[in-house]
Parts: sequence; structure tokens; C-alpha cells
Amino acid sequence: MFSILEKCFKKSIWVYHTNASACNGCDIEIINALTPFYDAERFGIKLVGSPRHADALLVTGAVSRQVCPRLKTLYESVPDPKVVFAIGSCATGGGIWFDSYNMVGGVDKVIPVNFYIPGCPPRPEAILFGVAVALGLVDKKVAAEYLKEKGFPELIKQEQQTTVNE
Amino acid sequence: MFISKLKQVLICLKAGRVTLPYPYEPSPPPEGFRGKLKVDIDKCIGCAGCANVCPSGAIEVTDFDKGWRRIQFHLTRCISCGRCEEVCPEEAVKLTDEFELSTNTKEDLAVTIEVYMDTCQRCARCFKPEHPLDKMMITGFRE
Amino acid sequence: MLTTREIIETLKTKFNKQILKAEEKVSDQVFVRVVPDALIPVICFLNKTLSPRFLINSATDMVRQDGKYIVSYIFSFDSEKIFLCIQVAVDAAEPGIDSITPIIAGANWSERETRDLLGINLRNHPDPRRLVLADDWPEGVYPLRKDFPYDYKPPSEPQNKVPLKKPPEGTKVIPIGPFYPVLEEPAYFKLFVDGETIVDCDYRGFYSHRGIEKIAESKLTYNQICFIAERICGICGFIHSTCYCEAVERAAGIEVPLRARYIRTIMLELERIHSHLLWLGIAAHIIGFDTLLMQSWRIREPVMWLCEKISGNRKTYGMNLIGGVRRDIPSGIHDEIIRVIEKIERETKEVIDAVVGDTSLHLRLKDVGILTEEVARSICTVGPTVRGSGIGIDSRVDHPYAAYELIDFEVAVETGCDIWARTLVRLKETIEAIKIVKQCLLEMPDGPIMGEVMEEIPSGREAICCVEAPRGEAIHYVQTGEDNRPYRWKVRAPTYANLQCVPYIIKGERIADVPIIVGSLDPCYSCTERMAIVDVKTGAEKVYTKEEIIKG
Repeated sequence: MFSILEKCFKKSIWVYHTNASACNGCDIEIINALTPFYDAERFGIKLVGSPRHADALLVTGAVSRQVCPRLKTLYESVPDPKVVFAIGSCATGGGIWFDSYNMVGGVDKVIPVNFYIPGCPPRPEAILFGVAVALGLVDKKVAAEYLKEKGFPELIKQEQQTTVNE
Repeated sequence: MFISKLKQVLICLKAGRVTLPYPYEPSPPPEGFRGKLKVDIDKCIGCAGCANVCPSGAIEVTDFDKGWRRIQFHLTRCISCGRCEEVCPEEAVKLTDEFELSTNTKEDLAVTIEVYMDTCQRCARCFKPEHPLDKMMITGFRE
Repeated sequence: MLTTREIIETLKTKFNKQILKAEEKVSDQVFVRVVPDALIPVICFLNKTLSPRFLINSATDMVRQDGKYIVSYIFSFDSEKIFLCIQVAVDAAEPGIDSITPIIAGANWSERETRDLLGINLRNHPDPRRLVLADDWPEGVYPLRKDFPYDYKPPSEPQNKVPLKKPPEGTKVIPIGPFYPVLEEPAYFKLFVDGETIVDCDYRGFYSHRGIEKIAESKLTYNQICFIAERICGICGFIHSTCYCEAVERAAGIEVPLRARYIRTIMLELERIHSHLLWLGIAAHIIGFDTLLMQSWRIREPVMWLCEKISGNRKTYGMNLIGGVRRDIPSGIHDEIIRVIEKIERETKEVIDAVVGDTSLHLRLKDVGILTEEVARSICTVGPTVRGSGIGIDSRVDHPYAAYELIDFEVAVETGCDIWARTLVRLKETIEAIKIVKQCLLEMPDGPIMGEVMEEIPSGREAICCVEAPRGEAIHYVQTGEDNRPYRWKVRAPTYANLQCVPYIIKGERIADVPIIVGSLDPCYSCTERMAIVDVKTGAEKVYTKEEIIKG
């Protein structure tokens, strides 16, 4: 995945932003990323008005029952190769309403997601960092943490051994 | 109308260039920022008070293996409200100022801790016993 | 000036046996229970003689307690600062009620919502289509009833799609939405046009229905709901959180310390400043004036940094809890707040000066999107939308909350009725908000920031709270329940009332003006749609599949 990105998107990404039943907090931070203080346009990133012109899809919000089929149609209308970013805690894991009666869940339950940018809402710097990670300019900084108390007998062997980091 | 346009141009010129040098230079958030959470396993007593107050249910507590308690913090759903930090009696959960959490797999966004809980002989409630080494420092290295 | 006792006496004298109960449960909030047959006569009488303003209609499922659904109609007496709630008990076996929409046009959506979510049938409603639930939600399944588990997802039934209006003779159809470049959120407008002029329109919204009220009633405690309320809307989140906390505090009789009330006021006004500057930028972007977008957002950014310093996050402040606030504003930071907002005041005044005389903006914004006073009163619109039409309603004055009764400020009112008038109202409010923050910082007393909250909040209490969001008035109604959790929580956001006036204000306008007209109401669909709302016709706006083109 990274190698495709490095080859195709070295210069500039055109993004199409869509809101799948979000509260607007993340959308405002995305627009903030284009304003003078953070200025994503110096990297060539531009918001376009049609998914046909886009290289990347920025999706915010958890997916509701009504938006679900429309989001699938939208995903299919973006031409390949494409990258999907899920921005905010709602898009990543469903947020506070992950199990509500009218919600399907996070965005990855409906369309395949390439990058997640959690936060509620994520700072514009975090969004720029996420795009930089996707482009291969910087390395990602977060990894799974698994801590276990030492010094006590392990009565039965553990079934899962998650990778230890930190 | 031309005067208005001139005034608008003057506003833009007066502001000048304001772009922050991020991401070439770090942009640290102010003190008290609520970012990614961090758990100190030595202080945690396994009371699961954080799981009770979390509004998005991002903290999952499971007991397994006769006395082990696993507490999983699903950072995919965490909204960084800070209630777990407020409620923790031992100040084991803290919110750091880390905000650069972008990743390509959801497995990266998880903090799991496992603590050993003993059962009180009298009231049958779980509690976290002291580390045997710490206990020996107090009682001395004797049988 | 009417008092609560006079209102109760007037109703009792006129309707006698048909009033079952009338009491002032909370200070300045009257709850009146009437028999179902008396509902329409009481509403007609109120409309003609006392003329309160209609706010919202809500329904509660009390089937387990006494076999009935309680439907409440909430009104407001603005100059007397009183809330009046008319309640009717509907039998659970055959739930049905007479619609009041023929008398009060603004009750249209809220009655349809009650029907969608609780299954109470409406008699004589002019437009009884589905409003809130998804297109494929099965009939006969009502989410807000207590026997419906909050996480049950019923199977899909696509034949229940809401039928939209047919286009009138000689007109074409232009769909806008649900994913559209200038609309931030999904919403579907179906415009019927004759050439370039709009003849009529239909709306299918409620894509963002997230089931917030059901989650709050099913699994969350009082303090957890403060955080979910904040995420109803990402722009005016603190307003919803304050409104909810105040409603619970009024119902339970909890006293909030004065310092906490001043802190809430300061955060509310900072939110108003950032929201109005945000609106200015978005409106400028809609008409193609990107310079103003960049400049107004540049001016706004220091407010976000300031809020991050005070509360720990740029937008979702997370400072409210039942009984007070959880973070203080120490005196060390007061100078910085004053420095930041004075700079914003200077820069905003420069922008106002540069923009007010610009005739290219006048051509686009003056005499466009006219909302007459008569239509505004009948649809019960709120906020700067209605203050631009000469009606000076403002909850900070009409139903004071937080520390507003102790502060001097002016309410901005214009009489132009067009988009330009609404713009001027919002700009004046930004300057007023800066003055209010300065006053609060000077007058804030020392003291605790969290009041005494009892271990278990008593059940069976009700209260209403009304808070002025940047878009208008947000109303929360809370009924406390067992087990230290709420029994019912009803939210009405300002855009809910304002969106209903769109068909009236776009008639006769051109297609190109539709985005700015809708944008001048400052719509925030996520606030509106915290319940389920289904949008009209399908609509990935770009791709028309074969079926969609054939369906038309």
C-alpha cells in the first residue's frame, strides 16, 4: 500500500470530503487545515467538488443506516487508485453511538479504510500529520501497548500473545 | 465598492504570512491538553472505576484465569474526555499531550493491562495484593 | 404582566373539569394535564387570548407505570419569562391524538417525529409522511418505546421509502444533496424549477440521526450524558451540554455556585464568537468570496487556541458536570483572555468596515431570501434568522440561565428580513459577546466551582431549559427516573425550527441563490437530526445509476 502511494501520490493529493452523519466537529477541523495557519494547500492538497476528480476520500462520522448505501455509491464513484481516511473517533470506531439502533458503526464496516486519524475532534496538526504518514513523509508514532504485572504465578498459559511494545 | 475592496486588500496585507511551520517543527499543545491516555500499571489496583464512568464504553474489563483481570482501553472509541483520570483513586490513568495518533491499522490503538487480583478471605471481594518483593522489604527477608 | 398563578386561574376558569392537574413544578414552569378531548379547544384558546410562542412537542412512554403515553406541548411566554407545558395522556392500546398543526404551523415536524418514534397516530395532520427514521426502517417498530432495546437493528425493508412531492405542471426537478460541496452535512433538497425560478421544494433530511435520546435513556448516567450532549453538534456543543445540565439542576433543585455560572457564561460567549466568525467564512465561501473565508477564519483561530488552554480541547470543552464545572479559569489567564478578545474585536471591526460598503456583496445578499415577520411567527423560527426580521426573541433575556440575569448587554435586531439583515445581526452579536466576556471576567466572584449534588437524584421530576445557541434557541426537557438515570430527555435544536421555513423563503428565487439562502439560516443538521431523520429521495449527488435516472 505504501509503495503505491509513494509512486502515485508524490506530488499532490486532491481530496473529497464527506460527512457521514457526524457532528461537524471533525469537518470544521478539516476546513481549518486549509486556512492560513495550517495551510494544507502548500502541500498541494485541494478540496474538490466532485468525487470523480478526487484521489482521496476524507470521511468523518459514524455511518448511519440512511447514509450507508449512499456512502458505498460514493466510494465506487471515486476512480482508482484511491485512499480513504477515516477522521475522528466516530469514523474510526463508531464513537459514543457505536451500538445505537440507527447506526451501522465505524466507516470500515461499510468501505475499506486505509488510514485512521482518531481524536474528538483531532487537531488540524493531527490531520496534517495523518496525511504526511500516508504519503510516507514521516513514520507513525503510535503502537499497541500491552502491560502485564510481573512476579505473580501464571496458573494457565495465555491464549493470546499480543506483540509487546514499549 | 472600490474603497471596500481596497480595505479588504489592506487587511490581507497587514496580516502577512501567518502559517505555522508544522510539520517541519513540532507544535506542542498547551498544558492540560487532553490527548492519548497512559496507564501506570504499578499504581493500578484493578477497581474498574474508569470503566464505570467512560461515556463511550471504551474500557473493557474481563476476568480470566482465576484472579487475573484484563483491562482494555479501546482508543478507537476514546473521546479524551478525561473522566477516567478524574475518577481513578490511585492516579494511575493519565491523559498525555500526545495527539499524533494516525495509523493504518486499528490494532495500534489499544492499551491493554493485566493485573493479578487476590480474594479477601473474609468478605470474598477482589483486591490487588502487594508485590512480593515490596512485602519482603517491609517484613524482612525471612520465612 | 401575567404570573404563573394567573395563567393557572385563567385556564381553570375557562375549562373547569377538563383540566385534571395544574401545578408549578419548578419556579416559572407550569405543567397542566388536560383530558384528550380538550386539547384542541385549549390550544385554540391559548392562541387567541394569551398568545404564547410554541416551542416543541414531546412524548414519553409511561406504559409500564400507568398504561399511557404522555404527550407534552411546550409553550413560552417570552416577556413574562414563563414556560407552559400542556400534557395529554393517550391510551396505550390505541394511541391517537388530534394534530395541532392546522392551528400552529410550526408543530408540523415535531408531531411527525412523535408518530415516527413512538407510534402515536395523528388525526388531521396535513402531511403525515415519515420524517425521522431511515428509508428501510420497518413499519410498526417504534424506537423510543421502552420495550425497544437501544441496540436492536431491525431488518431492512426498502419499500418504506418516503414518497416525495410530485413536481407541479411544467416544472423540472433539481436535486441537491445529500453529498454536496457547500453543504457540510448530508441533506437532500428536491427543487421544482421553472427555468431558473424555483416554484416549490421538498426536503428529506435526518441522515444524521444517531439515536442519542435512546442511548441516554438506556445506558448512561447523568454525568455521562454531559459528554454525549456536547457531541450533538461540533459547533455549538457546549450549549447543549449547559442546557442539559441546567435542566437536570432545575429538576433536582441543585444549587450551582455563582463562580461556576460565570465560567459557563464565559465559555458560552467564546463559543458564540467562534461560531459567528465561522459562519461568516462559510457564507463567504458559498458566494465565492474566498478571501473573506480565509481572513475570518484567521481571526477566529486564536479563540480556539484560548479554549484549548482553558479546557484542554479546541472544541469539545468537556467542562460541564451536573452541579457545576470541573475546570476553573484561574486569574493568571484573565489577562491573556482579554488580550485575545480585544485583538479579535479590532480585527472584526476592520472586517465589518471593509465589507459593509461592498456593493458586490449587496447585490448578492440584499433582497434575497426574504422571511416576513408573519411567516416567521407562524413557523416559530428562532435566532438570528428571526431577529433579522424584526422580532427580538433571545433566550438570554427571555429565560435567563447561567449568569445572564446579572449582565448588561443588548440584543441585536434588524428589520431588513433578507440575508443582509441576518449577516448584520450576527456581526453585532459577535461584538456584544466580546463585551459580555469582559464583564464576566471583571465581576466573577471567588468561590467553589462545584455545588452540592445529592447521592441519588429523586425520580419523577421534570424541567425545561432553554439556551441561546448561535443559531437560535435550543430546548432540553428532562424527566428524572429511577436508578440515578434520566427517564426521558428531549432535545430540540434551533435548526429544527428554522429549516421548516425553507419552502417559504426560496419560492420565486433563483437556483443559484439556494445555497446561500439555506446557508443564511446557519443550518446545523447534526443538531437537528439527533433523532433519526430520514432524508428524502436517495441521492449520491454525483453518480446517477440507471435506476435513479429511470426513477427520476
